[in-house]
Amino acid sequence: MRNLWAQTGNYRTNYQQDTTIFASYREVVSLAVLLLGLLALPQFLSRSNVYVLDLILVYGIAVLGLNITTGYAGLINIGQAAFMGVGAYTAALLAPNLPFLLAIPLGGLVAAGVGAVVGIPSLRVKHLYLALATLAFQEIFVWTVGHAPLLKQGGAVEVPTGSFLGYAVGFRNHYHFWYYVILVFLVILAVAWRNLLRTRYGRALIAVRDNDRAADAMGMDPGRTKLMAFALGAFYAGIAGGIYAYLARAVVIEDFMLASSVKFLAMAIVGGLGTLVGSFLGPAFMQLLDLNMETLSNFIRSLGFNTSGVDIASALKPLTFGLVIVLFLMFEPRGLYNWWRLIRSYFRTWPFKY
Amino acid sequence: MKRIWLLALIAVLGMAQAQKTVSLVWSGAITGPTSDVGAPYGAALEDYCKYANEQKLVPGYTLNCVIRDDQYQNPNAQRILEEALDKSKPVIYLGYSTGAMLQLKQLVNEIKLVTLPASAHIGLIDPPNTYMFLPTSSYSEQIVALLEYISKQNKGAKVALVVNPSPFGRAPVEDARKAAAQLGLNIVDVQEVGGNNLDNTALLKRLEGAGVEYIVHQNVAGPVANILKDAKKLGLDKKIQQLGAVYTGGNDLIRLAGEAAEGFLWASSYYLYDEDAPGIKLQKEISKKYGRPDAIAQSHNYTAGMLAASIAVEAMKRSVQRYGRIDKETVYNAIVSMNGPNAFKPGFAVSTKAGIEIDFTKSEQTGGEGLRVLQVKSGRFVSVTEPFISNLFRKVHGK
Amino acid sequence: MQYFLQLVISGIVVGSIYALAALGFVLIYKASRVINFAHGQYIAIGAFSAYFFATGPKLPFVVSAFLALVLTAFLGFLTERIFLKKLVGQPIISVIMVTIGLASVLDGLMHLTPFGASNYTFPKFLPQGGVNLLGLQLDYAQLLAVAFTVLFLVLFSLFFQRSTLGIAMRAVADDQMASLSLGVSVEKMFALAWAAAGLTAAASGLVVGTIAGLNLGALTSIGLKVFPAVILGGLDSISGAVVGGLLIGVLEKLAEGYLDALVPGGGTSYVFPFVILLVVLWFKPHGLFGTEEIERV
Repeated sequence: MRNLWAQTGNYRTNYQQDTTIFASYREVVSLAVLLLGLLALPQFLSRSNVYVLDLILVYGIAVLGLNITTGYAGLINIGQAAFMGVGAYTAALLAPNLPFLLAIPLGGLVAAGVGAVVGIPSLRVKHLYLALATLAFQEIFVWTVGHAPLLKQGGAVEVPTGSFLGYAVGFRNHYHFWYYVILVFLVILAVAWRNLLRTRYGRALIAVRDNDRAADAMGMDPGRTKLMAFALGAFYAGIAGGIYAYLARAVVIEDFMLASSVKFLAMAIVGGLGTLVGSFLGPAFMQLLDLNMETLSNFIRSLGFNTSGVDIASALKPLTFGLVIVLFLMFEPRGLYNWWRLIRSYFRTWPFKY
Repeated sequence: MKRIWLLALIAVLGMAQAQKTVSLVWSGAITGPTSDVGAPYGAALEDYCKYANEQKLVPGYTLNCVIRDDQYQNPNAQRILEEALDKSKPVIYLGYSTGAMLQLKQLVNEIKLVTLPASAHIGLIDPPNTYMFLPTSSYSEQIVALLEYISKQNKGAKVALVVNPSPFGRAPVEDARKAAAQLGLNIVDVQEVGGNNLDNTALLKRLEGAGVEYIVHQNVAGPVANILKDAKKLGLDKKIQQLGAVYTGGNDLIRLAGEAAEGFLWASSYYLYDEDAPGIKLQKEISKKYGRPDAIAQSHNYTAGMLAASIAVEAMKRSVQRYGRIDKETVYNAIVSMNGPNAFKPGFAVSTKAGIEIDFTKSEQTGGEGLRVLQVKSGRFVSVTEPFISNLFRKVHGK
Repeated sequence: MQYFLQLVISGIVVGSIYALAALGFVLIYKASRVINFAHGQYIAIGAFSAYFFATGPKLPFVVSAFLALVLTAFLGFLTERIFLKKLVGQPIISVIMVTIGLASVLDGLMHLTPFGASNYTFPKFLPQGGVNLLGLQLDYAQLLAVAFTVLFLVLFSLFFQRSTLGIAMRAVADDQMASLSLGVSVEKMFALAWAAAGLTAAASGLVVGTIAGLNLGALTSIGLKVFPAVILGGLDSISGAVVGGLLIGVLEKLAEGYLDALVPGGGTSYVFPFVILLVVLWFKPHGLFGTEEIERV
């Protein structure tokens, strides 16, 4: 009889057990505690910190999508910010007429459609070539927005904040309100992400990543699978974009340029490619790094070193951003997720040694 | 008798204790894109703050100036503002980039925080808006003023607009078209040209073919310099007169374009570094005092930062004098009553004929409306017009 | 016709810059299958170091340019030794991301110098004016761009055809296993490819600096224009890089010349290369001269 509280090994003996999501009650409880913690968290934070938290979670959703295209299917995507932009602009245009609960998912759907189109070259080419297709899309997207009067040519498309079920959303509660909205989307999307692997489509993604010829031989269509990976990844980005539009109160093009796409890739790498926990550890780590570097540069600036025109403070952010990517890849390619895994495996049998 | 001295001492100590702190916050591109503008702008704010504290410009208050680098990233700008709202409770916000300011417009109006952005995008003060104020004329107003200048020289001239491929560049296009229609100018073409424009032959040849006599730029110095150089090379420098709004000109343009900059016309609200204006004198004094290198100290962006800071500090000073306290409301009142005899005259920007440098009202959210057209002559900008105000801009904008 | 010719000529000038940059890019890809996202940063470092040598110690410009080429080549070499060497055998995404990270690190390092935030121009080293070609005006800076490209092309083709080292590099590109067993140091070849890439990047930086002045953002953004060039030419073909670069330059200028008038706002030259990139990927993914990968189960 397996112990439902502590797990000392894999005791699954039949397929039915193998399809269960949770191995032990401990996992169920820890998940519940995590959720409760997340629900309570904003109560302990100041408004601007809730904004940082919001950003981490929104980026987390975009990175989650990236972890489908790049993590599961192995297709490098240097255009995730553009997909996010598609979602954001769609939501912003729909916002005056539709409630956000419809506008945001619709943004995701439009982004998914665009993602499938961008993924078309994947029917013929792979690897690096695909990365460049997404790069091209990123540039074309920015240019197109710049030439679309409907989108204010990249200027601000305002998104009304308004109210929800009679509950007025304004300066004081803006970030708190959106935090809970994000949380709802996040839980649904994260569960879907996790379950994707339990479907044949999800397994096809990984099969195609690991060996597309073998996958082909086993009856999976690599081209279609990659297209689906693109569409799904873009869908997540689109949702993130829609939420971001509301969070920022207006959509401007600068948020969806190449630099953001690179940032998402960096977050995915630092968090650990293809992992759920990593999709949030990465954004959190990068956001906190950014914040700390800002504090540090302010400190350095306050010492007054900048007189000769050489600004140490200003170099810190790009320098550390790049270094973190490089160092992680060189010394911990599995990302922060690996640290998380090590901690967890220590506690799996805790308090026993085995 | 002794007791009185004691009381006086206590009172003095009490006054010293009552030295309260008041915050202003700025974030901008000290690094990242457009940092060639943001770095001197931020430096000016930092220096002016120190200066204001040393000179006790705001009686009874110490300024706490939160100067942060947002790297031209909107989420950073938003976070820095929110953080400041939580922690230092600023009474005035000095912003920077067009994108971030457009994004934050809704917020600053909701929380009634007076905002003076470095960006002069007209969309920032277009209604609905109460709390955004532009220190000097908007890009749109400057471009319209340049068009008026052209039509005075050459009625019915053919003009091309060359703008930066960004909301910043595109802002004045619509108003320029309307103004041109009224002035009888013919806007032949509107083109977007950004950094990294290595060869502009195609553009210039096409404009030449269309008979363009004037090119009006709304851009940053780099692309304009390249176009000027190519025009000189193609022998079009005499045939096509080029003009530009505030961020096209300055020392950077001369440094980049060299001889090709000769003859370029630049609309600017600010006094030049080599002019004898009270503001410029102060700029020299302050930049020297805090050891700024020449590249920063002589930049017109440093002047622009000084102006924005001085308006903010002046508004605080006036709210102390008038209301005995500084908060968001009194600062707003101080700003919107900066007009008529109470207009502000720090001497950084040119004054209009009425002798007004910076004025705001509730409905008129542009500060310095006066501007001059300056021309590059033997490697430096000199003024070729008296300060003037665009007559047409308010008639065409938003109509 | 005159207009068309003018466009083609300016296209060739701009294209030579892309071609130069693409040359180094392809060298790296050929040798080690790495796509270098930090190429724009090497371009900038080349240009700024030349500026530094020319204005700091006041060396003659030719000497400064030479020093800049050597320095950037050395930097390329170091990059391979320190970072890329560790990643041999890692998945492609890791290698790509390392170059992206490097780009950011180099950006940061440049911010440690005064070059991060301002605009500069090289001291004058070319005479004013230019030559008249078929009634079209070409100034010396533009001629220099073309001359540099031709020079490097000749140098590299000689190097690859004649020198043992060059032949070894080609061998590595062709089949790493075979060359290893024949005693070629694959590692050394990788590093050499990076050094050569640094060299060509610096060369294109010098040309850009001469034509358009020095600005960190403008210089690094050329690194992006390299992608359409190499995809059009074929990622693993040196002659393809040159042809692709020139073609992208010319097409960009033709777009600017003919399409801009049709598109409100214009600016088509910014997006056209990337449209070409996508179209090439759709219809001829391995470019004009690239080797088609044929996979059999």
